[in-house]
Amino acid sequence: MSSDVRFTDFKSDKQPTWCPGCGDFGTMNGMMKGLAETGNDPDNTFVVAGIGCSGKIGTYMHSYALHGVHGRALPVGTGVKMARPDLEVMVAGGDGDGYSIGAGHFVHAVRRNVDMTYVVMDNRIYGLTKGQASPTSRSDFETSTTPEGPKQPPVNPLALALASGASFIAQSFSSDALRHQEIIQEAIEHDGFGFVNVFSPCVTFNDVDTYDYFRDSLADLEEEGHDPTDYEAAKEVILDGEKEYQGVMYQDENSVPYHEQHGVTEDMSDIPDGAPEDAMDLVREFY
Amino acid sequence: MAEDLNWAIGGEAGDGIDSTGKIFAQALSRAGRHVFTSKDFASRIRGGYTAYKIRTSVDDVQSVVDRLDILVALTQRTIDENLDELHEGSAVIYDGERSWEADVPDEVTAVDVPLKSLAEDAGGAIMRNVVALGAACEITGFDVGYLDESLEKRFGGKGSKIVENNKDAARLGQEYVQENYDLSHLGYDLETTDNDYVLLNGDEAIGMGALAAGCRFYAGYPITPATNVMEYLTGRIEEYGGHVVQAEDELSAINMALGGARAGARSMTATSGPGIDLMTETFGLVATSETPLVIVDVMRSGPSTGMPTKQEQGDLNMTLYGGHGEIPRFVVAPTTIAECFWKTVEAFNYAEKYQTPVYVVSDLALAVTEQTFPPEAFDMDEVEIDRGKLVDEDEVDEWLDAQDRFRAHAVTDDGISPRAIPGTTDGAHMSTGLEHDELGRRTEDEGERVRQVDKRNRKVETAKNEENWDYREFGDPDADNLVISWGSNEGALVEALDYLEEDGIDVRVISVPYIFPRPDLTGEIEAADETIVVECNATGQFADVIEHDVLTRVKRINKYTGVRFKADELATEITDKLSEEVPAQ
Ligand SMILES: Cc1ncc(C[n+]2csc(CCOP(=O)(O)OP(=O)(O)O)c2C)c(N)n1
Ligand code: SF4
Repeated sequence: MSSDVRFTDFKSDKQPTWCPGCGDFGTMNGMMKGLAETGNDPDNTFVVAGIGCSGKIGTYMHSYALHGVHGRALPVGTGVKMARPDLEVMVAGGDGDGYSIGAGHFVHAVRRNVDMTYVVMDNRIYGLTKGQASPTSRSDFETSTTPEGPKQPPVNPLALALASGASFIAQSFSSDALRHQEIIQEAIEHDGFGFVNVFSPCVTFNDVDTYDYFRDSLADLEEEGHDPTDYEAAKEVILDGEKEYQGVMYQDENSVPYHEQHGVTEDMSDIPDGAPEDAMDLVREFY
Repeated sequence: MAEDLNWAIGGEAGDGIDSTGKIFAQALSRAGRHVFTSKDFASRIRGGYTAYKIRTSVDDVQSVVDRLDILVALTQRTIDENLDELHEGSAVIYDGERSWEADVPDEVTAVDVPLKSLAEDAGGAIMRNVVALGAACEITGFDVGYLDESLEKRFGGKGSKIVENNKDAARLGQEYVQENYDLSHLGYDLETTDNDYVLLNGDEAIGMGALAAGCRFYAGYPITPATNVMEYLTGRIEEYGGHVVQAEDELSAINMALGGARAGARSMTATSGPGIDLMTETFGLVATSETPLVIVDVMRSGPSTGMPTKQEQGDLNMTLYGGHGEIPRFVVAPTTIAECFWKTVEAFNYAEKYQTPVYVVSDLALAVTEQTFPPEAFDMDEVEIDRGKLVDEDEVDEWLDAQDRFRAHAVTDDGISPRAIPGTTDGAHMSTGLEHDELGRRTEDEGERVRQVDKRNRKVETAKNEENWDYREFGDPDADNLVISWGSNEGALVEALDYLEEDGIDVRVISVPYIFPRPDLTGEIEAADETIVVECNATGQFADVIEHDVLTRVKRINKYTGVRFKADELATEITDKLSEEVPAQ
């Protein structure tokens, strides 16, 4: 790891094909800056991305990376971290990717408390498939597949995380660059599963959850004096149906990440040239 | 074959059938006898008929036969289920004191032993099966001392009191028979040898192969009959610095394993049919991203949930063709329990050398059968590790483009690109399931698409030329009759040769452990008058493949009852098939 890493080192030379103004630009910048600021470099970083406009992030960043199939990024990240506890693992995807097709994995990645950072670019719509309702879409949000709105309440991903036993829950807004970056950094530094739901507006298909909407309505938890280590207080802001917040909602100070709990500390990429020296013992067990 | 003894215990699931069978099998193995076991179990934990059969001989035994010499019957159903297999020399051990009055065929010797009360005398009714084992030892002239050893192995962890009680239980069973019956007319006198054998099943052999091959990361989701692979690795893989994760489902399992492999660890997942279905989407990603991954499919009877505890070889097409688009892959299929070990070792080498997913296709019959082998059958010195084109910091330089970017999917003559694992300086790159260029970046460029598809497929061509995709051969190499088989049928087929020989029928058997790439059997089939393909499925999936390769019709023997082939049954089927017309087009 070199100390002179700049955030642009995490940038690939591929020009993003996101729509001009897409919230994902800001989300990505914050991730790259967060990685550089926390002392990582592209050679020790592994980024796993899902499928969606958001999932393209793996292409625009430079590091070891895998752009997987829809909804399965978290298990990939888990496998990477198990095999290589020495790596910084970051997983990114959309709200559809994470809370719809991948919802099961979300719950289990949270409860495993694998030491990685999960960034969900929440635009409350399916962007890449051109504007269908997502699990975080409002119940009256009209889309091509829900002309009268989904008529079902949106998923509250923060509450889902809390209920699953999360050790770090945060929310940020991609255009509030500084706060977003700070929150990402805290998630990276957290020992365990650092979950950040990022409001990352889709300027093409979502005319409700816009930059203006978030700018006007978001309350900052830091300004409100919220104590993230206070579970009860966290519950309150997470379940608050009236208001949307940015900041760290909850952090378990005693969080012990999966690999430490399970004693998974070795670099598993290094193996002997032949069978392990005492391998005949494995056979003798069957006497 | 005169030295054969066929023993079974049957009862309700939950009666401890499995562990009793295992204890006796281990005792026989320790006595230097060959053992081959089979299990008949229903898909429920309590209730439902369950049986554990052992065939043992001082000669090699590789299959089950339709014959039972000693039967421990815990229920009447046990007797009813096995009526056909009982004969004049059979003895049925049962407990006449219990509420049921055993209805035993006239020609069979009924041995009424108060299993439960003798067990209580020894310290607890739970040991009634061990009393029966003691009784079986007496009937067969088998030294109960070997049973002691296996009881120590089984119960040693629970304290010496439990071990001693069990030994007493066995003695009480033995003495009871000695004092109350004269069974010398049955003529059993089990021979022992000084040979050292190990006794294990196919799932265990796969797990052991994985450890020998340096597998460090395993992610899986429990499913019959693959769960034993995971159970075997759990607790053992840690000894080598590895880890097992029980994932939330198969989608997760294969993606975790993919992550582990991408990070540089030899990684594996194992499942059965329904799980393979779920893994198929990611299977394509594994191939397209050129990630080395071993995926074990322990086949059971399908489709859908099918008959989860029954044998079938119905997934060949799935593993050979499954997935959307066209996916380069290797499919290896062990034919014996020992091969479960060796093919798993090979699979890891193929995966890394060719940077492809490799299916190891096993089946329920291999998975739940225990068999004895000399320990040398798993000679660890023979295990070779080939990590392929894994490049380190220095070698990366050769593969950088003009802008110093790593060409992770470089188009090469052999189709194989360099592989840099995370942490390798200057090797950072993205992998994706999208079509991509040499750098791994998405592309829809026509030329690039064709180059990458050809490159990935070329790896298979390279492997076809570089590796030895051979087969195993038995019987008379010059025989006009050729029988081809894959998977677990080999053992029964090899033994069937003895029966056929008695009838004057010469057969050449070819057992194929490679489904793709696979040996070219054109010459062998052309040299034969008759070719029969034997497999446990209804449609003849391997026969289809063979016909396609050779452009000749073959005869087929298909069994899809859920039960594996037996040697004597196969001999009859082969005889019948040989006299049939070749199927019309
Ligand atoms: C198995 C599967 N089903 C469906 C799709 C099609 N698909 C691609 S992206 C997407 C939704 C993406 O929405 P979201 O995760 O919110 O990401 P966004 O594009 O809004 O960033 C869908 C349904 C797919 N690629 N794979
Ligand atoms: S469609 Fe929406 S989410 Fe996708 S790139 Fe455009 S603005 Fe961004």
